[in-house]
Amino acid sequence: MRWTLFHQADLVLRGGAERDGLTWRSRLAVVIVFGMFYGAVMGSYGGLDADRPWQMLYSALKMPLLLSAAFLLSLPTFFVLNTLLGLRSDFPRVVRALVSTQAGLTVVLASLAPITAFAYISGIDYQPAILFNALMFGAASLAAQGLLRREYRALIARNPAHRAMLRAWLVVYVFVGVQMGWVLRPFIGAPGRPVQFFREDSWSNAYLAVWDLVWSVVG
Amino acid sequence: MGTDVDVKGKGSGLLQGVRDLDLILRGELTRPASLRNGRVEIAPGRLSRVIVVLCMSYGLCMATFAVFSRNGPALGQVVATMIKVPLLFYLTLLVTLPSLYVFNALVGSRLSFSAVVRLLVATLGVNVAVLSSLGPIVAFFSVSTTSYPFMILFNVAVFATAGFLAQMFLLQTLQRLSMAQTLIEASPEAPDAETPSAIRPLSDQFLGRHVKTIFRLWMVVFGLVGAQMGWVLRPFVGNPDVPFTWFRGRQSNFFEAVLHTLGSLFS
Repeated sequence: MRWTLFHQADLVLRGGAERDGLTWRSRLAVVIVFGMFYGAVMGSYGGLDADRPWQMLYSALKMPLLLSAAFLLSLPTFFVLNTLLGLRSDFPRVVRALVSTQAGLTVVLASLAPITAFAYISGIDYQPAILFNALMFGAASLAAQGLLRREYRALIARNPAHRAMLRAWLVVYVFVGVQMGWVLRPFIGAPGRPVQFFREDSWSNAYLAVWDLVWSVVG
Repeated sequence: MGTDVDVKGKGSGLLQGVRDLDLILRGELTRPASLRNGRVEIAPGRLSRVIVVLCMSYGLCMATFAVFSRNGPALGQVVATMIKVPLLFYLTLLVTLPSLYVFNALVGSRLSFSAVVRLLVATLGVNVAVLSSLGPIVAFFSVSTTSYPFMILFNVAVFATAGFLAQMFLLQTLQRLSMAQTLIEASPEAPDAETPSAIRPLSDQFLGRHVKTIFRLWMVVFGLVGAQMGWVLRPFVGNPDVPFTWFRGRQSNFFEAVLHTLGSLFS
């Protein structure tokens, strides 16, 4: 079973005709298993004593939640946009491309997990640890974008209007995803603070928080 | 779903309305061949029922902010917003319809009154479909954000996006309507090989002068009245610091308020 999962992950990365035979369930399984793996590693910052393993479990659960919730919230808009541009008949193909990309994102993240773990073990501070994880996410997103572009190449060849839709998807998905990640904090778990699934003060707005941060630096 | 055209006229009203809306979004009803009679072939009443339902669903998403407000849920606001969103669109349509029709006739378009009504209701359908598809995102931000100015501006941006796409649909359909009629005069067999799209231009067309003039006039009239209508009908989102009221005092206007909100967000 384990080997088939790795095999599926490999197919997701390589693409090609064989990959098209992957079922929905196996794509979803890749997202969940590999997403949870990176989440668990990410949540291991506080070490393994006392109640800290709970943080690993929480982060592991929240990672697939983050990806799938942002995906599901963005999908209705994307469906209507595709329909308006006359691309309805391609939509099943489009969703397959998007799910494959999500799977690819988690596989890349999981492959970066040992580096994150290594950084934690070398005693990185909390703030740099946040930045480090952001860097890992950035790298994985870039790789996933490359995957998405590859998936979209055939679609764009069928109808050039897909190019605009690719951009629209990135805008909507990233916009929702950033806020989703913000709401689902903590992923890493600050050492001094208790372990919790949600922070009570996390119900705020990521974009306004960034704005405040920039303003406090500039102003 | 290609057989939908054949079963037209059967089935319950709401379901049939949803099918009509689907055909509009897919551009099936605005192919040059479908416009031969000089109008978009929809039943405005049936489509309006779907539009009202979609408006109410967006109203619900919009009012989620009031439900999760820090001063306890304002359920009155939910009811109010669900009524006000459909009202916003239909009152605007009602107020502007006479002038839209008169401008259209003045400029020399051949659209009849019923064709104008059908076209505008179809455009409203596109607008509302995009709006309600953005509803889940709005609800998510409403739940997770405590900033009132942010939600106001976000909703304005969502309405603007939906309005922009609806405008593209309106412009394309106006163009195709005017083209369909000239084509019929030239050759009764209109070419129809292209895959339909509701908002993308057909490959062999350039915008007629009439079409551009009518479109601009309509946009100015409908846009200004619509924005102000939204202002008169406020509150939609519900200020958490102010107790729930059905309406606010009739001061200021929409454009001044957006600038003011921008200012309060960034200060």
